[in-house]
Amino acid sequence: MKTKRTTTITRRTLLKQASALSVAGAATPFVVNLAAMGEAAAATAADYKALVCVFLYGGNDYANTLVPYDNNQYAIYQAQRPGLTYAQSALAATALTPSLPLPGGAQYALAPELAPLLPVFQAGAMGVLLNVGALVEPTTKAQYQAGSVRLPPKLLSHNDQQSYWQASSPEGAVSGWGGRIADLLQSGNGTATLTCINVSGNAVFLTGRSAVQYSVTPAGPIALGTRTSLQGSTAAAALLQSLLTGGGPHEFQAALGSIGTRALDLYDQVSAALTQAPATSTVFPAAADPQSTLGAQLQFVARMISVGSQLGAKRQVFFVSTSRFDTHDGLATLHPTLLTNLGNALRAFYDTTVELGVASQVTTFTASDFGRALTANNDGTDHGWGSVHFVLGGSVNGGRYYGINPTLANGGPDDIGQGRLIPTLSVDQYAATLASWFGVSASDLATVVPNIANYAGSALGTNVGFV
Amino acid sequence: MPTEQHNTAGPSLVEHGPAAPLAPLALAALTVAGCSGGSGGGSSGGSSGGSSTPPPALADAQASRFLSQAAIGHSRADIRSVASSGIDAWLSAQFAMARPQRFWDFLVANGYADPTNMNTQSGFDAMVWSQLMGSSDILRQRVGLALLDQWVVGIDGITGSWKPFTMAAYLDVLWDNAFGNYRDLMEGVSTSVAMGLFLTFLGNAKANPATGAIPDENYARELMQLFTIGLYELNMDGSQVLSGGAPVPTYAQADVSQGARVWTGYTYATTDNTTPDRLRLPMIINATRHETGATSFLNIDIPAGTSGEDARRIALDGLFNHPNVPPFVGKQLIQHLVTSNPSPAYVSRVAAAFADNGRGVRGDMQAVIRAVLTDAEARDDSQAASTSFGKLREPVTRLVQWARAFNVTSPTNLWPFGNTSSTANRIGESPGRAPSVFNWFRPGYVPPGTTVERNGHVAPEFQITNEPSLIAYINYLHAVIVNGAGEAQPDYSALLPLAADSQSLLDELNLVLAANQLSAATLAKMKTALDSIAADTSAGLNNRIRAALTLVMAAPEYLVLR
Repeated sequence: MKTKRTTTITRRTLLKQASALSVAGAATPFVVNLAAMGEAAAATAADYKALVCVFLYGGNDYANTLVPYDNNQYAIYQAQRPGLTYAQSALAATALTPSLPLPGGAQYALAPELAPLLPVFQAGAMGVLLNVGALVEPTTKAQYQAGSVRLPPKLLSHNDQQSYWQASSPEGAVSGWGGRIADLLQSGNGTATLTCINVSGNAVFLTGRSAVQYSVTPAGPIALGTRTSLQGSTAAAALLQSLLTGGGPHEFQAALGSIGTRALDLYDQVSAALTQAPATSTVFPAAADPQSTLGAQLQFVARMISVGSQLGAKRQVFFVSTSRFDTHDGLATLHPTLLTNLGNALRAFYDTTVELGVASQVTTFTASDFGRALTANNDGTDHGWGSVHFVLGGSVNGGRYYGINPTLANGGPDDIGQGRLIPTLSVDQYAATLASWFGVSASDLATVVPNIANYAGSALGTNVGFV
Repeated sequence: MPTEQHNTAGPSLVEHGPAAPLAPLALAALTVAGCSGGSGGGSSGGSSGGSSTPPPALADAQASRFLSQAAIGHSRADIRSVASSGIDAWLSAQFAMARPQRFWDFLVANGYADPTNMNTQSGFDAMVWSQLMGSSDILRQRVGLALLDQWVVGIDGITGSWKPFTMAAYLDVLWDNAFGNYRDLMEGVSTSVAMGLFLTFLGNAKANPATGAIPDENYARELMQLFTIGLYELNMDGSQVLSGGAPVPTYAQADVSQGARVWTGYTYATTDNTTPDRLRLPMIINATRHETGATSFLNIDIPAGTSGEDARRIALDGLFNHPNVPPFVGKQLIQHLVTSNPSPAYVSRVAAAFADNGRGVRGDMQAVIRAVLTDAEARDDSQAASTSFGKLREPVTRLVQWARAFNVTSPTNLWPFGNTSSTANRIGESPGRAPSVFNWFRPGYVPPGTTVERNGHVAPEFQITNEPSLIAYINYLHAVIVNGAGEAQPDYSALLPLAADSQSLLDELNLVLAANQLSAATLAKMKTALDSIAADTSAGLNNRIRAALTLVMAAPEYLVLR
């Protein structure tokens, strides 16, 4: 990639930049929040790092994503969802050989459609996280049954668990952990509003207490067609822009004004920077799921990362997504297509970061509403809780599993029935580990994931170590 | 409650309906406001002065504001109609209006039942836009869209052949029942092929002890969470019931698993797929695949051996009579039509109308709609100065409002607006194309990092509002304002005589589109800008009209309806 800035940026410089921004600040309701400015951010913002959240809307089925492969687990898998399973023999080519085997001879294979990810795992650049999910504190089945443990509200509800994953709060949440990470680090960026970038609409994940998301399409920002002339009138065109950015006394008008201001102010800067993006040769395969633009979204993220220096960016958090994972039906027919799409996109994105020379500066991770039941409902599976997730990147300590392998069962020690897993690795631990790699100091972690202290001294601790 | 009670609800209830106690108060207030308010227009008023003519029931601006809440879109003629008849009579007339055409009949009449269309979506968008933009039952269209925002089915989430017909049959269920009883709506949706496919209970089977397979829980869950009772127990004013300071969940996972047993055995009425006809027949229940063991969820008990049809009746009656339904449904209807953050008192008045229409009938939608639209909080014209009342106009209603205001027609019924869901070059929303059962936006959405959030409010439509979608909306609206869409062309002839005088042009657009909610300051800026366009040629006049429309429909004072 291009030359990186090597100048050491001091906290004082950052503050100067930040206040200059807020004055020039056409940009946004950007607030210089001294209290929220982390020491880690100020101290080491000389490099570039990106976090990329890949959200699988609908609740991804864990057992047909990371498929039980050893004879014991496979037999349970087959018994619980006959007709929906991969043949054991079909899994040989994608069986994982981790650097650290699981206890008890447990083995897994990637679903065959995820074959493009196998070399990334074996090369040590992908980690597999077992039984991850939303928790408030470490939770055992006995505690769950006794009602003696705090639980996330509205478990198994799509919209609320999407929100809880992103924000540690159900629908209506006002900040997410991606945004709260950005609160601590955005002051190191040349343009604070280019810290949290959503290529997939709106997500609370990317809003912090001061950080706001900037939304773009996979083709980039959208130009206002009537920017210089509206029906031949420059005065009318100017007024149109003034209306879009002007807001108003009503709270909704003000919110519109903030969006319009970001849209118009950032368009020139971002589109100009993108013209500098180096050509890459990695091919993103055509979308296997015609309703998904995940590949295009990730391709755009790679382009943004490639012009990070033009934009003065040091830390960026991206959000991309793909949907249709709510496989109550069609687990055997639709889900493989979704996985093909996912595997192709993740692999092409990883390869592009390698090509750009930034693989170790980019960490990509999956997220989803929840996992699903192990037990079938005939032709699909219903809502669950814990699930499997992937983390990819050159800095990932990959080629192995993280977390605790759950007992696969219908009504076993690790599920609340039908193989709906009680998570043993919380989203908070997942987030804290990523945040620490990104540069958030230990003392700032609680501002990102308020419940992280609940995991101090737990089996996996507050840093799971996968990156 | 016995189901026959609601079956008596029909047009005959309308005249002296439930909202009657509210209506006189609201109308009295309106009459007073009407005298002092002034329409702000005056450009075409013919009947204002004559002593022999009775005064209008309400001012033009009040009529326009009402229609912006009640109608899918409206024209100058609609404003005149409401202003002269008053709200109550207008509602009664709309309730009594037979549907000019049903969705299904549009598809058939326009040749889409041809086998070559069996595996396409041909005709779907045209059908939807023909109703929203062209059908004269503008209240039903608006309520139908609101119902579709709650009882979501999206065409890309269903499988099988003849998808436009599957959707047509479903939309007809919503539109047919929009002025009926909510319990009938529940029944119609619960037996529709479209919902059976979308929430995957068509083909659902009872538990299989041999394989361990359990019934699909999809519909059982969303029927409770999204369509009837929601997640927490509610008071009649929409607030949560608290127990020891904590909200009380309405159901647990066990209720979902039990409820799922009701929705087993469902299948198509016939295997004949050569025509679309089975898609509008209610699903039937294959008894051998239906769960007949005793089922219990919430406080609903279904004895062992109950038939599938009876199980459905018991389950839906139980849900329909749950105390959450009136505030849950009532508040969402308010949010879709009037304001994102209604007062608890407003919610409770609407919920009361849902619970009892004044004649002992629960779920009378005409009573609910009347209560929503005639409530003093909705009709209070001083809300136009509020900094929190109202809603961000839903993108679809903005596009349709433009089409209605300028009499867009489609001579060969192509209505070529197509799929408008792109956030890059359309409006970021397309009716009947929601990405999931959680719709384009949720009633509880809070735009983070905004004053809305700091005020503790919600703003549902902001879930689909962001940098690309806002700019794309402006670009697309400008394009259709200038060019129309194929054969669907606007008629600006009524504006042409006004365009030489920018103020007159703006006054007219402000009244028709923005219910006179554009401020004097904004209008002054617009006038200055428009005056920069010479009005001495036909092209100049047309440019003024198009620029004025674009500016008005981009203005925050228009986009936020108060």
